[in-house]
Amino acid sequence: MENFFVNIAGLIRDLIAGFGLNETLVYLAMVIVKFVAVLVFVLLNVVVLVYMERRVAGFFQERLGPNRVGPQGTLQLVMDIFKLLSKEDIVPAGADKFVYKAAAYAIFVPTILVYMVIPFGKGMNVIDLNLGLFYILAISSVTTMIIFMAGWGSRNKYSLVGGMRAIAQMVSYEIPYVFSFLGVIMLTGSLKMSTIVEAQQGVWFIVLQPIAFIVFLIAGNAEINRGPFDLPEGEQELVAGYHTEYTAGRFAMFYMAEYANLLAMAAIGATVFLGGWQGPWLPGWLWFFIKMYALVFGQMWVRWTFPRIRVDHLMHLNWKVLLPVSLANIVVTGIGIKVYQMVRMMGWW
Amino acid sequence: MNGQGLIKGLSVTIKHFFSPKITELYPEVKPKLPESVKADFDLDREKCIACGICANACPNKVITIETEKDENNKRRLKRYEMNMQYCLFCGLCAESCPTKAIITKQNFELAAYSRENTKRLLYQADKAPASETEPGAKE
Repeated sequence: MENFFVNIAGLIRDLIAGFGLNETLVYLAMVIVKFVAVLVFVLLNVVVLVYMERRVAGFFQERLGPNRVGPQGTLQLVMDIFKLLSKEDIVPAGADKFVYKAAAYAIFVPTILVYMVIPFGKGMNVIDLNLGLFYILAISSVTTMIIFMAGWGSRNKYSLVGGMRAIAQMVSYEIPYVFSFLGVIMLTGSLKMSTIVEAQQGVWFIVLQPIAFIVFLIAGNAEINRGPFDLPEGEQELVAGYHTEYTAGRFAMFYMAEYANLLAMAAIGATVFLGGWQGPWLPGWLWFFIKMYALVFGQMWVRWTFPRIRVDHLMHLNWKVLLPVSLANIVVTGIGIKVYQMVRMMGWW
Repeated sequence: MNGQGLIKGLSVTIKHFFSPKITELYPEVKPKLPESVKADFDLDREKCIACGICANACPNKVITIETEKDENNKRRLKRYEMNMQYCLFCGLCAESCPTKAIITKQNFELAAYSRENTKRLLYQADKAPASETEPGAKE
């Protein structure tokens, strides 16, 4: 079972190679096959996540959530998607039409690209980049621009305010988010995702870097505009923030991108801090899946517990708490590494 | 210490996550109503002495009673009908009944598609017992 998906990829590879293509073309074809596989994985998981979110939210509020359509309400989201797609697609009269339309398609691009380097199991990533973690951080920060495209293109004051808040929030939280990974990078000496996972053979980085993990959870939650940090789409004052004007299929894109981002965040957290696909008995990809969903559940738990944070408190938390804490964590990690090296060198332990 | 409130909040919500849900799965599971709920009526034809006190007690004149004399010159029930669209479910009919022939039930699903179907025929002499025909059933 361990190499189930790797074996499938191998079979497809042999099949493509059987057409008599040269090495480069086979490689390219395999990348496309893997890309499609990841795309399907993400879309299926988004469906599960939205259902899960609604059920979990219901359970936290002592309700049952959707439980009518299909067994236990599992087909609810399928119906919702059909409903959304059958609705009228409205482009506001004053909107910057190109930007408005482009944003709805572009919002999914960075999210999908992030998944390209995530190891779903042993040898189960589309491309194992040397700069994997750096690539993830670089790509995911592009989302900020697209959200602002949506906010600006809608020509609506709520959308614009939502977009501006998104920029302020996501650019600020990018910094502790990146710093929270630095401790891990110092420990492994690599940005390669597979190396980071392999370095957690004995002990997960959540044990060595607990503060970094907490900073990652908070900053990551703010990065994906969820939970207590959903200011860019604060319902009470901004209707729906940057996607106020979006309807039908375009709205579905934003909605799905939100959950795809949540899953991406959980996948990064599971890889970097929770040991990725490492784990006893069960196959690696299943372990990864379990860890990912545990983090997702944690995020939902937080979201349905805490009220929305105030704008100035948001900035306060970032610049005056998370940033110093994550910097201190880097310093302590550096000292710790040196002390450990010294102890090993002197042969004391 | 900072952050204690956050942990407390999380522990409160996780308790609710596992606690029994208050949602009622209504059409499949019938709700448990308080004992005093009165929603429907039934007539015990054996006990009824056709005195008409219930019809008099009714504030909305919901109950129509038709009587006849039998061979012993004794009053006998011929027809007992309740026009449920005017009923306010006060239960005065059941309370006033000297023989407790009219009893309240908790079946509240009385909705009907047409006005005629809101009439509840509890007894008719020359017909088969009509109490089983639930309102709204004969569309």
